Amino acid sequence: MKVITGIPVLDDVIEEIPEGKILTYWIDPEVEGNVFAMQTLFTNLERGCKCAYTTIAYSPEVAIGEFNEFGWDVENYENFSIVDLYSGYVGLPSNCQYNASPTDIEEVNEVMKKVIENFDVVVIPVSSVIDVCGEDSIECIGEWYDFAREKESRLICTFVSWPYPEEIEKFVKNNSNAVIRVGGVHHRVILGYYYGVVKVDWKNIKSKAILFKLVKPGGVRAYIPKILVTGPYNAGKSTFVHAVSMRAISVDRLGTTVALDHGHLEYKGFSIDLFGTPGQERFDPILKMLGREALGVILVVDSTKPETFPRAKQMLEAVAHFGLPYVVAANKQDLPDALPPEEIRKKMFLPEDVPIIPVSAKEGDGVYKVIDALLELLTGSWWVKENEPEVST
Amino acid sequence: MSLRSQLEDILKEMKSTGDVEASAIVSRDGLLIAADISSSVNADAFAAMSATMLGAAETAMSELGKGTPDRVVVESPSGKIVAMGAGEKALLVVMTTPKANLGLILLQLGKASKKIEELLG
Repeated sequence: MKVITGIPVLDDVIEEIPEGKILTYWIDPEVEGNVFAMQTLFTNLERGCKCAYTTIAYSPEVAIGEFNEFGWDVENYENFSIVDLYSGYVGLPSNCQYNASPTDIEEVNEVMKKVIENFDVVVIPVSSVIDVCGEDSIECIGEWYDFAREKESRLICTFVSWPYPEEIEKFVKNNSNAVIRVGGVHHRVILGYYYGVVKVDWKNIKSKAILFKLVKPGGVRAYIPKILVTGPYNAGKSTFVHAVSMRAISVDRLGTTVALDHGHLEYKGFSIDLFGTPGQERFDPILKMLGREALGVILVVDSTKPETFPRAKQMLEAVAHFGLPYVVAANKQDLPDALPPEEIRKKMFLPEDVPIIPVSAKEGDGVYKVIDALLELLTGSWWVKENEPEVST
Repeated sequence: MSLRSQLEDILKEMKSTGDVEASAIVSRDGLLIAADISSSVNADAFAAMSATMLGAAETAMSELGKGTPDRVVVESPSGKIVAMGAGEKALLVVMTTPKANLGLILLQLGKASKKIEELLG
């Protein structure tokens, strides 16, 4: 059976975790990164894979409680097991089928090998094992890597990057088939965390980073804090925001937006906030305010009114001057005299690579294609170079 | 007497309360209807932002299930702005000095907004 990571965007990039592969989540200490391994495990548990979760730093009950916090009821799945390396450590009897005392590394080794042989997906907290069993346990961990390759299991490892000796870091990196780094964004966007693909040896891909936030319940969500929906008066911005949002509110008076529209949307693993601006010139001071910290812009134009296109461009310049990615929603395509997208591109002198999507916000036609186009621009452009982790060679 | 001069009289009366530096009657969608504002202020922007302020406050309040707010009061070290609905179509906004007596201002504002509502229907 196909095993996937269950992490939004990441699955689109690496497609699957093939048999005998070791995937390591490389986690900055300030980030709650363990949830990545938990999400990967639960996703595959639901798909019917036999999954084992190794706990060494805390009890099995606490581990299950953590799953439950995110809404993952692992205890109700027969194909789920916990490998309890904790109880023996603190001198308690274990009620798990698979357990060992980490003070006896040979016993741990034996149990882990049995688990790797019997399960499709095994989660191992590699850095915690090193913390508890000492640096020498790295040899043991190396044996598990080899054994997983031989038995065609998959290991999902977590490695919290405290300052361990360099040779340990190197060993873990070099022995992992895939390394996904989970870290904080310290530059420009203060808001968030990101995960990025550092290495995948079964696919040829470029380094890539995605912002995320943790939702309880729910888990890892790619995070796009703010998308601005702007455009001239009466272009259909509010209608657009309402058409795509799960819930939306508008501050409108006498048929026009006077402050903003706000909509929220959960779409393809992304959480998206949409902010609609007023369209009339007298509200322009608000435009700049709403545009602050936006990550992308949807420009809504009335396809039947080419005379409003200059104003549309002026608004775009006001909000997108930081080089924000933008897409154009060519609205009111349900009307007979609507211009086709390519005609609009010509009349607005827009570059070839700017997506112009024909929509009818009123009918709801094509509105999600606009979101798709923007997400593609955003996730493609999100490789924050400053945060690209250095891979030691 | 024209509607316009009737509205302007209401604003003049507001000013006689004392400590009122500027006032305006604004349509709910942010267009200036009548104003008593010095030329150094951009009256159109002032009108639009007043409508934004009141509109946003009303939506925030009603989203919380607390009904419609009576007014919005904004205070800064150099003055106060008070905006109040005046019927379905318009709102009334005044700008005062920092030491203005808010109680008195609110009383006058309430009377004025009722008159405006009657005039504009």
